[in-house]
Amino acid sequence: MWKDFSSDYIKNNRLSSLSVRLSAFISALLLSLLCGLFYNAWKYEVERIELEEGAWHSRITGRFDQKDVEAVQHFANVNKVTISNDASGLLIIFDDMKDILTDTPHIARSIGAGPEQISYNHALMAMYLIRDPNDKAPRLLFPMFVVILLMASFSLIAIIHNAFAVSMNARIHQFGILSSIGAAPRQIRICLMQEAFALCTVWILAGNLLGIAASMGLSQLSNILLGNDIPGRHKAVPGCHPLVLILTLGITAITIAVSAWLPARKLSRLSPLEAIRNTGGLQLKRPRKVPVLTFLFGAEGELAQNALTAQKKALRTASLSLISAFLAFTIMQCFFTTSVISTKETYFERYQDTWDIMAVVKNTSADEFSETEAIRKLGGVESAVVYQKASAKRIVTEAEMSEEMKSFGGFSHAPDGAALRMDDGWLVNAPLLILDDDSFLEYCRQIGAEPRLDGAVVRNLIRDVTNPDFRHPVYMSYLKTQPADTAVSNDVTPDNPPGAVSILRQQGNSEITAELPILAYTQEVPVLREEYASTDYYELVHFIPISLWKEIKGLIGGAGEDLYIRVIGRKNVSLEELDTLQSQIDQLIGQSYTLESENRIREYELNNRQIQGIRTAFGSFCVLLAIIGIGDVFSNTLGFVHQRKREFARYMSIGMTPEEIRKMFCVEALILAGRPVLITIPLAVIAVGYMLKMSYLGVDEFMAEAPFVPIVIFMVFVLASVASAYALAWRNVRKICLAEVLKNDTMI
Amino acid sequence: MEILRCEGVRKVYGSGDNPVCALNGIDFSVDKGEFVAVTGASGSGKSTLLHILGGVDKPTSGKVIIDGIDISSLDPTQAAIFRRRKAGLVYQFYNLIPTLSVQKNILMPLTLDKKKPNSEYFEKIVNTLGLSEKLDAMPNQLSGGQQQRVAIARSLIYRPALLLADEPTGNLDQKNSGEILDMLKLSNRTLKQTILLITHDEKAALEAGRIITIEDGQIISDEQRR
Repeated sequence: MWKDFSSDYIKNNRLSSLSVRLSAFISALLLSLLCGLFYNAWKYEVERIELEEGAWHSRITGRFDQKDVEAVQHFANVNKVTISNDASGLLIIFDDMKDILTDTPHIARSIGAGPEQISYNHALMAMYLIRDPNDKAPRLLFPMFVVILLMASFSLIAIIHNAFAVSMNARIHQFGILSSIGAAPRQIRICLMQEAFALCTVWILAGNLLGIAASMGLSQLSNILLGNDIPGRHKAVPGCHPLVLILTLGITAITIAVSAWLPARKLSRLSPLEAIRNTGGLQLKRPRKVPVLTFLFGAEGELAQNALTAQKKALRTASLSLISAFLAFTIMQCFFTTSVISTKETYFERYQDTWDIMAVVKNTSADEFSETEAIRKLGGVESAVVYQKASAKRIVTEAEMSEEMKSFGGFSHAPDGAALRMDDGWLVNAPLLILDDDSFLEYCRQIGAEPRLDGAVVRNLIRDVTNPDFRHPVYMSYLKTQPADTAVSNDVTPDNPPGAVSILRQQGNSEITAELPILAYTQEVPVLREEYASTDYYELVHFIPISLWKEIKGLIGGAGEDLYIRVIGRKNVSLEELDTLQSQIDQLIGQSYTLESENRIREYELNNRQIQGIRTAFGSFCVLLAIIGIGDVFSNTLGFVHQRKREFARYMSIGMTPEEIRKMFCVEALILAGRPVLITIPLAVIAVGYMLKMSYLGVDEFMAEAPFVPIVIFMVFVLASVASAYALAWRNVRKICLAEVLKNDTMI
Repeated sequence: MEILRCEGVRKVYGSGDNPVCALNGIDFSVDKGEFVAVTGASGSGKSTLLHILGGVDKPTSGKVIIDGIDISSLDPTQAAIFRRRKAGLVYQFYNLIPTLSVQKNILMPLTLDKKKPNSEYFEKIVNTLGLSEKLDAMPNQLSGGQQQRVAIARSLIYRPALLLADEPTGNLDQKNSGEILDMLKLSNRTLKQTILLITHDEKAALEAGRIITIEDGQIISDEQRR
């Protein structure tokens, strides 16, 4: 049957099978391009996290020896255990990431470590969709990528399915004749499946390979376009995981098999008479009520809706593509708008006046760095601070807690990692910010404390942890001071803790301590581009000078690997001036140290460019989806002229005027193009509401920046394209010779 | 009272060397309440005549006056409104709108005019035609005979000046054919509906009160039977 019927049919009807071939090719191409791009973006992000934060999955801080390493290594799920470079703890890599959260506490217990010593690489875990309940960061980007990928993939799969359904339905009459002369249903099914694979195999393979190659090419292109612009950006290594190739090939092949099987089965089950009688006319199985359209447009509205419902299958790709495109575009625009407002408020606006140039000196400790003065002497430098970070612990007693803090429950809301109940109080994290001596003295003067190099200044602020609104946090005193409302107090009395000293404890071993005199408790922090207590609300930040650090570092340890330099230039400094200053700093320090630097204005511009780039990439993808939908609308409106003429002849024969038919045609176009908008609006409102809730932004803040213009432009583009398709079709359809159409018996 | 008058109606298809003359000087008139059958062999021009009388096609020359309106000079919109209000068309293949229920199909000519049906008249039609149980069904759920009855009901709903039926029994078995002809006769008798039945079936033609026979586009006989 294949030789006698299908191969001849394919040979002689190349044009009619072209839509199936093209659909298979385009879908395979876009699907593999999309999956390839997604894989490369994911791979890049994982590499970035591993480079910046390390490839470890969980960390147990403390002093451990080789024996502990071996003990941990013996755990079944553990792949690799190492002691961190600064010897502050064990870094563990697991075989199966999904068990990290359950296995790490067991491992910690086995080597005598408490839950407060455990921390996780949340950023890396999020890339594998593993969330720690204690991780409060939103991390919405990756799930958003997955949702958009799924929506797009679904749309592409629908294209293939629809192409087959339409192509096979068009041949019902032909197979009816075949069946009437004795072809068995099984023969018809096999024949159609053979046809499907003969038509599509080469095109799927070509589309898949081309899509993967294109995704790798685009990844390489990002290296060329962004390679020199972004500090700390590593080179993307384009790759294709065999699973991605197999997955896309598999999905496309399965989709084609199912898409061909469903109509083939339906077709093979029709009786010869049913198949022969089939005229491809628009049918509905049951009456439909369309009160809104009938109210708005009268009988034409009802007929238009019914015609669209009857063409549901043929227009499925168009509807799905247009809805997905408009929905994805609108949500993407809203998402980026929310993200931009959030970044602007929490980063650029908040830190606008705290830095102009930031440099990270790799693997350098503050007490070894000798270029501080040279930086300050550079032309255009108004202020320069050199600082390092270190981690330590400290006990906060009940008596030390402020009344405000007690009012929201003290440490009762604190997770174990943030505050651990001890006999004499709560063991909390006490991050150290080690400022160069001159900057520390300046800071002391700024807050009205005695400028000395033998003590620490403590940030005496805690957020109301019962209020989850991170955008408008309520701060209050952490510890008791005297008097309570002043910014600074070092008048500590025996009745009013805290004491004049702070006993810091080593991160890994809280028995090892260092005692620091307290110069002041303050609510005013140094002018630095730093966030304090943003994830661990209970940390008690200590600012100390390098001179003091030199004395205690042997006891406390826990210093970060890198050194930071914050430079502020003159007021209203220009981009050119900052570029010059940045290159001077790079030249000055870069010869002796490994350095990464960035400047505020360029960072802002780069951030805008990156967002614009991602917006353009996603926007292009949405436009592509819309084009697929619009292409399908064109092929339906122009391809079924004959059928529509018959349909309109029916209407005209009972007295519908050409104007009424044109109105019905316009209503049909309006429904098709308007449906994505109507479906999108409530979903977008829900999505935006959720985004605003998650990011604690107000509706007015969002509305002020809402992306109405691009959304309206996209909407007009879709409306205009669908209108053009219908206008073109109308030119052909309106030329109805009613008598001719009615004369042809087979048509009615 | 005269409801239809044809004066020298000619219809020529094609042009140049091979024009085909489908109708050649048709003259006849029909009075209100008459039941007229137009018969003739295949290709005699009877369907062309029906299309012209129904405002579906235009004569090349001559006049067609229905209920005082010369339909040969109507533009497409006026012709459509004429079909809606003055001519009820019944076709061999029913020509129902497959996306609408039976009730909506019947009411469609009124709906297009944004008019509400006279419920008494509507019920009378559907009861007479035996459709009262099928009003919510879709056309594809009905038998051929039932579909044709819906088409007749639709053609009657506007109380047209003329009901034009083109081979209404051509696609039906004997039993259903008989029923449809009975329905037409009933509507002629009880509703005083003027009917012009186009058929090549002599038996069907004999049900009419007057038989006009066409051959090669011309009337060759016009016989009043009762």
